[in-house]
Formats: sequence, structure tokens, C-alpha cells
Amino acid sequence: MSNTIYTMGVDVGGSYIKGVIMSYDRESGDHRIVDKQTEKIRKRNPKDVAAEMVELLLSRNNLNYEKDIAYMASTGEGEMVERKTGHFYSMTSHARGGRFFTPHANTIVDMGALYVRAIKVNEQGRVVDYKMTGQCASGSGQFIENISRYLGLAVEEVGAISLQADHPETPSGICAVLAETDVINLVSKGLSTPNIVKGINLSIANRIVKLLGSLRAESPIVLCGGMGMNVGMIQAVEELTAESSKTKFEFISSPDAIYSGAIGAALWGGYRYYILKEKEAAVVA
Amino acid sequence: MKSLEQIVNECKELAFDLHFTRAKEWKAEQEGRVVVGYMPIYFPREIIHAANGLAVGIMGGGDRKQIIKGDAYYQSYICHIPRSILELVLDGHTEHFDGYIFPSICDVIRNLSGIFKQQKIGKFVKYMDFPQNFLPEIGGVFYQQEMEHVLRYIKEINGVEVTPERLNHSIGLYNRNRQMIEFIYDIRQDFPWRLSIEDVYHIIRAGMVIPVEEHNALLEQVCAHIAKPIGVPQDKIKIVVSGAFCEQPAVGLIRAIEQAGCYVVDDDYMLGSRMIEGDIDTTTDRPLEAISTAYINQSRYSSCIYDVSNPKEFRLAKIVKDRGADGVIFASASFCDPSLLDAPIFQNAFNKMGIRYIAFQYSENINQFKVIKEQVGTFSDSIKLWEDEPVVTINA
Repeated sequence: MSNTIYTMGVDVGGSYIKGVIMSYDRESGDHRIVDKQTEKIRKRNPKDVAAEMVELLLSRNNLNYEKDIAYMASTGEGEMVERKTGHFYSMTSHARGGRFFTPHANTIVDMGALYVRAIKVNEQGRVVDYKMTGQCASGSGQFIENISRYLGLAVEEVGAISLQADHPETPSGICAVLAETDVINLVSKGLSTPNIVKGINLSIANRIVKLLGSLRAESPIVLCGGMGMNVGMIQAVEELTAESSKTKFEFISSPDAIYSGAIGAALWGGYRYYILKEKEAAVVA
Repeated sequence: MKSLEQIVNECKELAFDLHFTRAKEWKAEQEGRVVVGYMPIYFPREIIHAANGLAVGIMGGGDRKQIIKGDAYYQSYICHIPRSILELVLDGHTEHFDGYIFPSICDVIRNLSGIFKQQKIGKFVKYMDFPQNFLPEIGGVFYQQEMEHVLRYIKEINGVEVTPERLNHSIGLYNRNRQMIEFIYDIRQDFPWRLSIEDVYHIIRAGMVIPVEEHNALLEQVCAHIAKPIGVPQDKIKIVVSGAFCEQPAVGLIRAIEQAGCYVVDDDYMLGSRMIEGDIDTTTDRPLEAISTAYINQSRYSSCIYDVSNPKEFRLAKIVKDRGADGVIFASASFCDPSLLDAPIFQNAFNKMGIRYIAFQYSENINQFKVIKEQVGTFSDSIKLWEDEPVVTINA
């Protein structure tokens, strides 16, 4: 008899909703992504977007929510996910998701639409400390999205274009409004798009490096969240840490970085499923 | 019977009707009726009811009233509720009130009664001392005299002489009210998904501003609804909220705690409605004594009761145990001396008892809960995922 159960994780973020179905095997620890889906919220009701995504994932895999899904967990703005078994706080989920990508990770950096958060975990994967960027949007994925729109780029192109830069110029790293004005000035000055984009990545990377320093981060560091898929950002972080840090950091990313929260939630869901089952059995006994 | 959603919506309207419209209508319906406003935490509403009056709880303006005049009366290091109460009163929201009662909670509320007197607000202003001596022949007699004083004020207005029969009838109505509220909490102890704590809050708070008969009718229907297996359970921890007894948190905060992964299975949000545990005797010919005896022997723990022979930390710990809660959230209003002075006593005791807790502060007019949500979310996760490790987080 198979020990595998199916769990779902839905991560409602500032710009995107991410959903995964995972197969979870408690005995072997062999957990796998069965299917995944990302949806931009745009101006829609996040509740509707999340509900549609769940239905899509289930139907695409011929699964029935009541019969086949052992635990559906939300994370992020969890109240937007109406049909769920439980909710996990986003930091706990991202930490678990980061460890799914790299089981020996000591630090996870969640680079989302609204903020960046560096999370330190212990050997058991428990969050022991964290640092996050302040309120200003100039250190967030949303800012990159806005800039890419001004420059006529798709957000997926930003990373690759950044790698082509030869003389990047960094805009204001303090305020998104000033930085956006700076970008307009850089365009007027005739700076190439790759150099502008790389400058933006360096500006955000500078904040991330400061977070890692104040957290006393330890390698390996997993870069998660939407910006974790931006190869230009990863390069910028690596360059800056190489320049400024005495310690050499090892950065790891994954093509599924944007799903780290949803994956973490689904995995914790699997863990809780068995805990609850054991509690239920103890009550019956 | 109305649907649960209809009742909750009705209660939402009533609970935050800052013009106290129902009390105004009730008073206009019959000659000789009086409306008496009382401040948190607890006041024996039965005696006003027996004197052909309606006791209306004034819980502040929350996040729905901009404070301009109220700030002129208080320093910045004083809590928010007296400002918003003053703002409501000075803006004419309580023009139909005949008198005001200020139960002894703290110096701030005592000073507020002084401001009311100075400003000549209402036909009477009574600062009502509750006994801290729990001997019936001392504290009990004193408390009865305090209640008699209130009844004399009302008699001067409407001439109603309160008889034991009238008072016993009123006590009976409030006994029923307390029974049904307790039934809601008992159901939520095992099935908290049947009615959210936000809905419970609105339902109980509505009872502060309408006649008890009308509130009882609503509660009967609520109890009938939640006795049935409704709603879908979620994997959340169970917690008790303590410390929010006077200045009320914004509804958004009450909601945020449950959204962040907790079921609130007990709390002291509307403590006045639940202050007396169990029934008050309705068969005696000395009902004031019955009310006073109930206060002495059947009060819930509270930061304004100093009963050294019955330490409150053990009483709260018993609630946690009886409700099967996983932990406690200490939520104190900023600058609330009684709550903030009690918190370390509770926390020291809970460290020894191994009861998990977190603590934070709020203000009634603050409606940004991101930090609190994060704190509650991590608290919930740590209990769900690392049950064997003690967790202590204090965000003073």
C-alpha cells in the first residue's frame, strides 16, 4: 500500500497567487511537486483567483478535493483562500520551501512583491531569526515590475537583459518614487536598457546584502520568491557580496523559486495531517 | 427564525451605532423611561432595568470616530478610550442619556467622571466604587449602598420605586442573558468554527445598547443556530485572549487573530456581560444583597479586582485548562495601567506553569495589524509545528 498522500499549498502574495499539489511520503521523506500554477491577480478579487486556481489544479490532475487532498494549506494572505484545512505564516512556509530546494540551507531569502525577508533556520528547519526590508517599495519585486513596464519589457525578460550590462548605473536606493524618476533620467541620458536594469538589480541587491549582514547569515543561502527567478538579481547579489563581505556566501536558487511559499505550506500540511491523525487515534483509543 | 447571517449583520449595526439610536427610540416609546450610560468594565444593569431604565454600555468610538475635542482633555501618555468617550459625548451622541456611571477601573476613568461633572453632562454622574474587601458584611454592604445611591438618582428623575419583585424579575432576564452567552462560549470551546469570534463579539456588544429582552430574543436564535453542526473546521490552535477588558481592540484586530491561525475560545473583550459566573439568586426578598453576594463570590478574574486570596493568574490558568486552550494572547491597550501591571504577574506564573503566551499592545483607533498578525501567525505555527518547545514572545 502506498504511503503517499496529496497535499496542496496556496500562497497569496502581493501580485501573484501561487499554487502547488505535492505528493508527500512521510516514511521515505520523498516529497515531489505534482503540479504548479501561478496567476497574476491584476484587478481581480484574490478570493476568486485562488478558488479558480485550486479548481484548475485539481481538474488537471483528476483529483477530487474531498477524496484525494489530505491537507490544503494557505500562506501569505490566507484569508483569501476559502476552502482550506489550515494556514501557515509565510515565513514558516518559505523557510520550509527553501529547505525543500536545498535541504542543508541555513538561510532563506524570500524576495517577494512587497518586501524582502532574510530568514535564518536551525538544523530542524525552524526559524530562529529574521530581518526584513522596511516599508519602502524600492526594495521589492513590485518595483522591478513597475520599472520593467516603463522600459517596455516583460518581467520575465528583466533577468536575462540585466546580464548583458557593461556599465550599470544605480538609481536612488531609498525611495521608489525617486528611483522611478531616476530611471526616466537614465533613459533620457541615453543609458542602455541592460545597464538601467542591472542598476535597479544592484540597488535592490544592496538592500539584500545589508539584510544578510545584519542577520549574520550563514551559507548555503537559498534565494526564493518571485525575484529568486531573476538571474540578473542573483548575479547582482553575488557580485555585491563578493565585493563587500569578508565571508564568501554560497547562493542557491531554483527555477521553482516563486513556489517556495506554496511548497512549504503544502509540506507543513502533510506534516500536520499525520499529527492530527495521531491525535485523533489517541482520542479514540 | 432569522438566519445567522441576518442576526450577525443586525448586531454589527447595533454594536457600532455610535448614536445609540435604539436606546433613543426605546426611551421615546414610553413616558418615565431613563437611559443611563455606563463605562467599562462591569455594572449591575439589573438595577437600572428594574427602575424602568436602560443601561447602555459606552465602549468608546473605536476606529470609527475621529478624536479632536477629546485630545484636549488628556495627555499623550493616557489611553485612548476616555478621549473617544468624551468626543462622543461632546459631539452630542448621548444627548438622550439621563445619567452616567463610571465603575472603578482606574484613575483615568475616575478623572473622566470628574470631567463629566465639571462639564455638567447628564442629570447625574456617579463614580461607582466596587468593593475590594470581599467580606459580605463589609464589602458586600458597601456595594449595596453604592447600588442604592444609583437607584436614588433614578428615582429623582422618574419617581420609580424599585421593589424586590421588579428587581428579581430583572435579575432573571440578565441571568438568562448570561446563560446564553456562556452557552455560545461552551459551544465554541469544542466547535469554534460554528461562529467566528468576530461574530460573537458583535452579538455580545449589541447587547450593550439594546433592551435585555431584545438581546435575549437574538441570543435564543443564535444558540439554536450554533447548536447544529454548521461550518467547516480548520486546523488552528485554540487560545485565550486576556487584557482587552476596557478599551476594546478594533474589530479588525479581533478578526486578524483568528485569521492568523487561532481560534479564540475565551476572552475578556466584553467582560461586563460575563462578569458574573452563573446565576444570581432571584428568590430572595433582598435582591441587592443577592447581586452583591454574586459579585463577591461569582466574579470572573479582572484587572480591577484585587482579591489576594484568589490569585488571578491561577484563575486564568484554570480557564486555559478548562477550555483546552494551547496558549494565551495578552492583548493590552496602550497605556492601560491595570492590564499592563497584571501582564508580568500572569507571564511569570505562566513561565513556571509552562503555559505558552505572547503579548502585544493595541489602541482602539489603530487598524493596521500586520505586525500583530505576524506575531500571532508565528505563535500559532510554533505550537502547531513544534509543540514540545516552550514559546515566549513579548512585544511591549
